[in-house]
Amino acid sequence: MRHFPKLIAALTLLASPAAADLARAVDEHILPGYAAFAETTAALHDAAVESCAPDTLRADWNAAFDAWMRVSHLRFGPVEEAGRSVIIAFWPDAKGMTPKGLSRLIAAEDPIVNSPEGFKDVSVAARGLFALEYLLYDAQYDATAPYTCDLIRAVTADLADIAGAVSHEWQNGYADTLRTAGAPGNGTYLTENEGLQVLFTNLVAGLEFTANERLGRPLGTFDRPRPNRAEARRSERSLRNVDLSIKALKNLTDTLVDAPLPQSDAAFDRAIQTAAELDDPTFASVSDPSGRLKVEILQQKVKAAEVGVLAEVGPALGVAQGFNAGDGD
Amino acid sequence: MTTRRSFLTTLLAASAMPTLSWADAGNPRYLAAAREPDGGYALFGLNALGQDTFRVPLPARGHAAAGHPHKPLAVAFARRPGTYALVIDCADGHVLHQLTLPERRRFNGHGAFSAGGDVLYTSEIDAASGQGVIGVWDAMSGYRRTGEWSSQGIGPHEIARLPGSGDLVVANGGIRTAMDDERSKLNLDTMAPNLSYFSADGELLDQISLPPELHQNSIRHLALRSDGLVSFAMQTEDPDGWFTPLLGLHRRGAPLVLAAATEPQQMRMKGYAGSIAFSGNGAQVALTSPHGGVLSLFDAAGQFQGMMARTDVSGVGPAEGGFMTTDGLGGLCSIAGDALSPLNSAPRAWDNHLVTLPV
Repeated sequence: MRHFPKLIAALTLLASPAAADLARAVDEHILPGYAAFAETTAALHDAAVESCAPDTLRADWNAAFDAWMRVSHLRFGPVEEAGRSVIIAFWPDAKGMTPKGLSRLIAAEDPIVNSPEGFKDVSVAARGLFALEYLLYDAQYDATAPYTCDLIRAVTADLADIAGAVSHEWQNGYADTLRTAGAPGNGTYLTENEGLQVLFTNLVAGLEFTANERLGRPLGTFDRPRPNRAEARRSERSLRNVDLSIKALKNLTDTLVDAPLPQSDAAFDRAIQTAAELDDPTFASVSDPSGRLKVEILQQKVKAAEVGVLAEVGPALGVAQGFNAGDGD
Repeated sequence: MTTRRSFLTTLLAASAMPTLSWADAGNPRYLAAAREPDGGYALFGLNALGQDTFRVPLPARGHAAAGHPHKPLAVAFARRPGTYALVIDCADGHVLHQLTLPERRRFNGHGAFSAGGDVLYTSEIDAASGQGVIGVWDAMSGYRRTGEWSSQGIGPHEIARLPGSGDLVVANGGIRTAMDDERSKLNLDTMAPNLSYFSADGELLDQISLPPELHQNSIRHLALRSDGLVSFAMQTEDPDGWFTPLLGLHRRGAPLVLAAATEPQQMRMKGYAGSIAFSGNGAQVALTSPHGGVLSLFDAAGQFQGMMARTDVSGVGPAEGGFMTTDGLGGLCSIAGDALSPLNSAPRAWDNHLVTLPV
């Protein structure tokens, strides 16, 4: 549906939100994304119960993280209940709370790992994908030590439980809540625009997070690059996460908008291409001027995608960014 | 003792007083500024059901307003750093007066009337030095500027009068802003916010600072309970302040209480509390976090009670049974117990605050 002439497209934009396809975004982007995250985290937990040996468990952990990257930009609804998204992915962690929390548990051999309910009271920093990254990749931990293995199983059980609950709640209630935005009796989305607004806001915020945090944190400043701040650098997933997040945000755009988006499409494609050409999985090269330039260029491409989205997707959906959400007072 | 002279003054004042009351403005419970679909701005009166009682156009983006204690008048303030403050007759929508700022002063979006309504206090900054100023205006003589005093801090934001008293409390946010764009923040490493109490004539009575590790928590908005308990909402400038408390509770002479939600819930506030209110019965405090799209509930001792999601929620005020909220999507919602339910939806984006009228 992206091939009709520009003039008609321009006219279509005036009539909001004809170009929006909320139901398609729910059915083709959100629900399968959460289902895959639930499946991969369940598989990760099964594998951990089988063995805590990092060599085998890392593949399952990476599969779960890949699945998370397809939905990590969705920050509303069930994944925000009780702060679940923060538990799933506690990053950035500039104060090193994750290793501190894990080491504290291990040093004390805290029996809280034996109680799935009790484990819900453990600090968010010592749970989720990034806690597992430390336990599976950082040399200070021995995943096969008995207590550490119990801790890994507690974290994978907690993660699978959260992922399963999010997927279940989307399939049994929240998807309908979003699909019926604006319908009488819908107390969450008072108008259809509100449903589109939340997805648009998440799309823009997702691009900003990748540009400013995933890329901006390791870039630091020219005088003080911070390669140790790259996301998931221990598992060498930093660039992969950027790549997957851009693709996921493009997929959200594709499913949500039923109108030509020449600027956004081109900008997304350039960002994906730039990420593919970058040979620096952890952004370690930011300390070196020529390497840094390449990472900066990738950041610019992601920002260009945001510019495209703001210029085209917002008008196509008939929504703008939140009035107060993007504002300071 | 009533002397003949003061009796005459009282009589004169009484005969000169307009007979109109808030009932003539449709009995609004709240005031809120908004951006309208055509991009213009207006101030609205709202009743307890979230319905409009009046609409007054504003010349530029508004922020908060101060309702007169008994006359149907409100002073609407421009968004910080602002140059306009309009005294609006809420019964007929006329602009009665425009406050004229001295050179180099800027409004910071908030103000408060004295108990009798004869003096208006406004939070301001000196545009050259960045120092905080409280402007004093004579509401009985056309809102003439009669004086000013130091706010005893940088970046004063909300100012409120203590119930049953002439004393005032000021949230000095601590952030110095740039002169060129007047919103860039210049002193994040050294900022030192405080809560300052003043007598009606500007004498500093008390000043409360935050613990050193929270010096980047800007104290910005206030809600007061009828017994003098002050609650304040903060916005942290610490980029890693994930779990930083954003709620403060203080009563003069008692220790400061700082409150946070559970870790994962606190993170949903994104380090930013936009507005604050006590519930209708005073037993709860609500903080809004428009960046995170959540509203957090605490009891009056600072114990976290729960959190609810509402996109772009920002304005909050007391209501019977709980709270009323406004948001940038135009929604007006009621909060009672642990449930948020829509009251009304208006075709406009509600701005930061929902101002409760003193009636």
